[in-house]
Amino acid sequence: MADALVINGLNKRFGGLRAVQDVSFTVRANETLALIGPNGAGKTTAFNLIMGFYRPDAGSVSAFGAELVGMRPHQVCALGVARTFQVAKPFGGMSVLDNVMTGAFLRDRSPDAARAKAREAIDFVGLSAREGTAARDLTTIDQRRLEMARALATQPRLLLLDEVMAGLNPAEVDQAVALVGKLSRRGLTIVIVEHLMRAIMAVAKHIVVLDHGQKIAEGAPKEIVANPEVIRAYLGSSYAHAPAAPGGAAS
Amino acid sequence: MRLKRLGGIALASVIALMLLLPLAVTSSFALDILIRVLLFSFIGTAWNLLGGYARQLSLGHAAFFGLGAYTSTLLQIDFGISPWIGMVAGGVVALAASLPIGWLCFRLRGPYFTIATIATAQVLMLIFLKFRDFAWGAEGTTIPNLGHAPLMMQFDGKAYYYYIALGLLALALAVTARIERSRVGYYLVAIGEDEDAAEAIGVNVPKVKRDIYMISAFLTALAGTFYTQYIYFIDPQTAFNFNVSIEAALVSIVGGVGTLWGPVIGTVLLETTSALLQSWLGNSVGGVQLTVYSLILMAVILWRPTGIMGFLTEWRARRAKAPPALAKAQA
Repeated sequence: MADALVINGLNKRFGGLRAVQDVSFTVRANETLALIGPNGAGKTTAFNLIMGFYRPDAGSVSAFGAELVGMRPHQVCALGVARTFQVAKPFGGMSVLDNVMTGAFLRDRSPDAARAKAREAIDFVGLSAREGTAARDLTTIDQRRLEMARALATQPRLLLLDEVMAGLNPAEVDQAVALVGKLSRRGLTIVIVEHLMRAIMAVAKHIVVLDHGQKIAEGAPKEIVANPEVIRAYLGSSYAHAPAAPGGAAS
Repeated sequence: MRLKRLGGIALASVIALMLLLPLAVTSSFALDILIRVLLFSFIGTAWNLLGGYARQLSLGHAAFFGLGAYTSTLLQIDFGISPWIGMVAGGVVALAASLPIGWLCFRLRGPYFTIATIATAQVLMLIFLKFRDFAWGAEGTTIPNLGHAPLMMQFDGKAYYYYIALGLLALALAVTARIERSRVGYYLVAIGEDEDAAEAIGVNVPKVKRDIYMISAFLTALAGTFYTQYIYFIDPQTAFNFNVSIEAALVSIVGGVGTLWGPVIGTVLLETTSALLQSWLGNSVGGVQLTVYSLILMAVILWRPTGIMGFLTEWRARRAKAPPALAKAQA
């Protein structure tokens, strides 16, 4: 399988803070990779570097063989990379349908075609009953669904999900996990930033751990939960004694 | 379906009424008010494309109004070119000017953008004030009166001006209606809501802003030419008047930003209020009509920040929902 995303020697400084230091990892096509680590580890910064919201100080990012560094976010999106935001950014005044249509317009100029594509994406995330609702009136999980539908409507090959499960109740987390699985089965390559270990274990076969902007571990979920450095930096010692325990990681 | 047909009938009646109005209204004073209403509806509609849909609060549209006014006047007086051609030329000049102005101002967001747009209009006014050899400086000039000369956009009756203003407004509304339903319309609203989210789903934000600014500037400049021809006079203070920038934004905000009819409704409301207050209170304590006008304005903006159109939409939504008790008040 070809590589969907190759990150090599990525660096980003904000003043004296080295937000991302020499991070390299590769996401293979059709896999779901989880990017984990404590708050401030550089996960969202990595997303912003990939999408072109920030320009890296050094390093390269390539998706499907194309170099992304220097591109603007809309160009990255046109190449087939879409993202959701940690704090959902729906177009609040627009209806759900109009939100998703705006994404669909990337590939279809005609409103009718865009509307049809948008309905498909809305149906996929299970939001059809809310089609006419103003985005700002949606519940948290529905806003996350909307973000995913809007990103999907741009017909990406690589989807970056930034904490789509934060703030959801356990039942909603299950729904979100199912949705991510469904996206993956559809053939999408997914990079997911998440704090909920239970969810990560359920969706990802490949985990990269960041701490203070550096990659401290990479591997299969089983290796990661047993890795002493990951336990020290992120999971907490209680996790080592009960690796099967569900629930979030201590910060 | 039924609503659509009703809307079509309503629109057709409004058009018919507007076309026939000068036959009934012969008072020059009343026609003057109508022309001002149409003109500011037009400017507001042009402003609304950028300021309303994309929420880029420009308070510098006087720059384009003035450029339109000066271009056609210079062409007419120095080269004898008809203002009809000058009007389009003015639009093109404004469109071209919007590129560097936008290039500078769009780097800034929010209030900083607004301040920058104010500055550009002021700078242009100062340029036309100081460079006297080029365009008459502070004294300005009158437009040579040729009597009834339709080809030179001069008429012996106000009704003609009325129809030109009506045509301009119809043009701006048609352009807006078309954009509103197109991809660009969705992109504009998306930019107004959240620029980062728009970029992330493939919207080339700077390009969309630049393009809509060009259209908005072009249309605003047409109003400048028209106004100068209408009052037969131009000077920097009139052409680049800050009030033009304010009115353009105000009528849209009161009527409802980012809606097709918002600026029209806003203008009708504000101009009518202002004219009525003027005639009721104008003869009492000086300036009291302006105070009352400002109070009404503040009340409207505090009470309905979404404007009259927003109020109507909410009202319709609330009526449609049953039982009404469940409707979200103050959504």
